[in-house]
Amino acid sequence: MAVKKYDNPDLEKKLHDTRYHSIDTNPEFTKKVLDISRTIANMCYQCGTCTGSCPSAPRSSYRIRLFMRRAVLGLEDEALTDPDLWLCTTCYSCTDRCPRDIAPTDVIMAMRNLAFKRDIIPRNFLKTAQLIYSTGHGVPNNDVNRAARVKLGLTADPPTTHSYPEFIPGIQKILNYFELKQNADRMLEGE
Amino acid sequence: MHEYAFFLGCIAPNRYPGCEAAAIKTSEKVGIKLLPLKGASCCPAPGAFGSIDLNVWYAMAARNVCLAEEMKKDITLICNGCYKSIYEVNHILKHNDDLKDRVNEVLAEIDMEFKGSQDVWHLAELYYDPKICGVQKIRDSVTTPLTGAKVAVHYGCHLMKPQKERHFGDTENPMWLEELVDALGCESVQYRNKMQCCGAGGGVRGYDITHSLDITNEKMINLQEVGADALTEVCPFCQLQFDRGQIEIQETFGVSYGLPILHYNELLGLAQGMSPQDLALDLHGIDCTPFLKKVL
Ligand code: SF4
Ligand code: SF4
Repeated sequence: MAVKKYDNPDLEKKLHDTRYHSIDTNPEFTKKVLDISRTIANMCYQCGTCTGSCPSAPRSSYRIRLFMRRAVLGLEDEALTDPDLWLCTTCYSCTDRCPRDIAPTDVIMAMRNLAFKRDIIPRNFLKTAQLIYSTGHGVPNNDVNRAARVKLGLTADPPTTHSYPEFIPGIQKILNYFELKQNADRMLEGE
Repeated sequence: MHEYAFFLGCIAPNRYPGCEAAAIKTSEKVGIKLLPLKGASCCPAPGAFGSIDLNVWYAMAARNVCLAEEMKKDITLICNGCYKSIYEVNHILKHNDDLKDRVNEVLAEIDMEFKGSQDVWHLAELYYDPKICGVQKIRDSVTTPLTGAKVAVHYGCHLMKPQKERHFGDTENPMWLEELVDALGCESVQYRNKMQCCGAGGGVRGYDITHSLDITNEKMINLQEVGADALTEVCPFCQLQFDRGQIEIQETFGVSYGLPILHYNELLGLAQGMSPQDLALDLHGIDCTPFLKKVL
């Protein structure tokens, strides 16, 4: 079979270099997504079963198949700065149906972790982290609920960190280990 | 009596305490004793924490499991979100020594160690499991059959999906929760796209509430179509999304459904003779009276 030759030497070189990537591409990104997600995004053949299963797709421009392609091509900026990244409900429908046995949901989670490293994160996520730091709960108790609990014969506060606050310093140590509180406070400063 | 450490999470004890009270009382009637898991925290929320940094999520969930390891008890819980965190992290760490070592490095700072000695179960699966309880035992525990009502089931996502990381089998059209519902004397009904997400997960409820409610609304339309008298689920976060969500849907889209939403434990509580007051059904956003009138 004849191989087509181009008289553009630059193009010839690119076409023969299997490591060639477009300038927007960061091969490190592909690798990082693989490491964090532990799923084989590179096996994606773009069938679209994932998007077809996705409850977020019919009501937004979010397309999980597109993010799969971005993972494979290493399109880091395009993936991490797209607000649609945060519209995945993590329902895992795509994961259960992917004919290539990939977990697209975990690819999204990996990208979100990488976005966080660049300070891209919805504020409400950070607020949940702050609440857990101070109370141990993402959704803490309140007075109406305390009264209802007592009526039911339960303790006013559940037997969690709410009743045993001596466990909270341990939780704070774990969060401090990852500098989570510090980062949340910095990003939410002034709110 | 089968004894378990009862992992509460946040939304059940702090928003729908009836679910907690019902779980403790209903399980006792079928031979399951729930012991308090002292000092447990948020699971932590898999959507928010998993998105921020999976390593924090692993470590925080592992700490909760360690508390049960110290009690030498398996964990049971009543929330799919908690199941995602506690079951899945326990499962991953048991099968991934590298990750386990990394998590234990963090836990060493607070003198704890994840050993991988216990298992994690959703209370609903224990109810279904004939080795622990089984449908027949549930049926035998009923004193007030909930006859005359059509009840639809919402399985939620994180209990059974991803299928590969679970042990429930088919996630396209499971029927085991319907068996548990039928055992209470009511009639379970099928509806379109039963396995669709409630819309709350992944942090979407907090990130884009309108988008999130639009997913919920699609489920509500499908439920209305089959004339369900109530929806039952096994996840207080799904419950919040359907229950408070209907009020928000009314405010956002101007449609109202008035569909009572009951956790399976609340439903079982009613069938075992607990009163609506015993279950704090008055804390629900959607009035349960129309359903109660039909069945009580
Ligand atoms: S379903 Fe799987 S193979 Fe198909 S496009 Fe989605 S990720 Fe790729
Ligand atoms: S897990 Fe996310 S991407 Fe996959 S179907 Fe559900 S919402 Fe869509």
